[in-house]
Amino acid sequence: MNLRFKRLISQVIFFFFTNLGFKIEGIFPGIKSGLCYPFFYCHACPTASAACPLRAIEIGAYRGNWNWRYILYPILIIGFVGVLTGRAVCGWACPIGLLQRITGKIPKKLKKKYPFVKKIGQHRIEPYFRYIKYIVFLGFVVATPILLGFMFTDICPVGYLVGTIPISILNPGQFTPNEFFYLALVIFILFLILIFTIERGWCRYFCPIGAMLAPFNKISILHVSVNKDECVHCNICSDLACPMGIDVPNMERDPECILCGKCIEACPKNVIKFERK
Amino acid sequence: MQKKLIIQVALVAIIAFSLGELVFYYDAYDDIQDTIVSTLCLSCIKLDPVARLEFVFETANGEDHSEFVLENLTKGPIFIEYRSDVCKACDDMAPIVKDIFGLSFEKSETLYESIIYNGTNVHFYHINLDHASKMQMDSFSKYDKDNRKGVPMFVIITVKYDRGIIKPCYTTAYGTLGIETELGRRNLLTNMIDDAIKLYEQNHEGYKYP
Repeated sequence: MNLRFKRLISQVIFFFFTNLGFKIEGIFPGIKSGLCYPFFYCHACPTASAACPLRAIEIGAYRGNWNWRYILYPILIIGFVGVLTGRAVCGWACPIGLLQRITGKIPKKLKKKYPFVKKIGQHRIEPYFRYIKYIVFLGFVVATPILLGFMFTDICPVGYLVGTIPISILNPGQFTPNEFFYLALVIFILFLILIFTIERGWCRYFCPIGAMLAPFNKISILHVSVNKDECVHCNICSDLACPMGIDVPNMERDPECILCGKCIEACPKNVIKFERK
Repeated sequence: MQKKLIIQVALVAIIAFSLGELVFYYDAYDDIQDTIVSTLCLSCIKLDPVARLEFVFETANGEDHSEFVLENLTKGPIFIEYRSDVCKACDDMAPIVKDIFGLSFEKSETLYESIIYNGTNVHFYHINLDHASKMQMDSFSKYDKDNRKGVPMFVIITVKYDRGIIKPCYTTAYGTLGIETELGRRNLLTNMIDDAIKLYEQNHEGYKYP
């Protein structure tokens, strides 16, 4: 079984467990646990089985009413997963990662058809855009809830996708848009444009949970390593395989690596591998 | 390399120990389950529930009305405002409720006041679910008429005629009531209270505290 297929199975299994909150009258009561997801998903989804870690942090810091349990709990869950596997959850477990795996075929085609799309991805300022996710995390998940009471979840596009849309469909006429609805709709449309034009665009530039997990790649037990002595710098791994646009031959525990293993499969010299230490 | 491995193992151990401590000694798991996962997050869905103000007899979970409700109903209708610490819609609605009843209180406070509202005795409860007693917590699911599990939730309980018997009945409104303006929200809440008072005045003579 190749890595790509193993990863698909893992993503489907995690998607199932992420949505164990569904109810079947008289057969299955639905599981609403007190866990926090270590990846991006919204507890407002009618079938969600755990909490969004961002919401817990926001509640813990809201208007300076510090509730350390709500802040520490999701950070420790993400820290635990991060130390063990780095950002592997982004590649192997996150349902939004699975969504981008599906939509990712379109940006790949665009890259082949229009060379300028590829050039945009390789532009020298592109790596700086990756810092946006840290700003989103520190700004909208930490700072604005403390200072203004405005939270990332007010405009979160994933909440819109898995919360707003299904709840509106399941409860017609019972809800009306709140003050952030239209702003969130615009952000949701931009989110869709992003994931249909840039492969893993959300993970690369905006995901606040990716921002929390990224530093753990530097110390995680599981990581991807390149044997630089034997690498011939054919760049197949970077140009054709890596969905995160990493310069794989020169990477050393890159914070953007989601351990998807595509570079490992693509390497003709077999000099890239998963390593445990 | 050995040094790195020691750091990694130490980090895993420290995090696992701290997580265990949070879950077993500080009830983080239960709190997240109660306040986040089991509650409909109106911020997350960017929607407000539309107010539907018909008075119903059957409690939302089929249980009897709470004791404090049944007892106070002999003296007047009961208005309950449920909220939580972190809730923007609660913060938006709080000044309106305070203004209607002429009260002043902190959001974390659990408050009971007997108020004369337009000449009628109304029992006001402000219940913050993050600081409420078990009985008050239990009452929330009884009056969550549309099973929204979200706050703020406004409940008014009064009495009404039902096939020969005068029984407690209630109506529930949620969030910012699906209304954009402060005036509109205020009007809807006062209409709700006025309707409850009218029903109470028509029927309270026949209400017997069980």
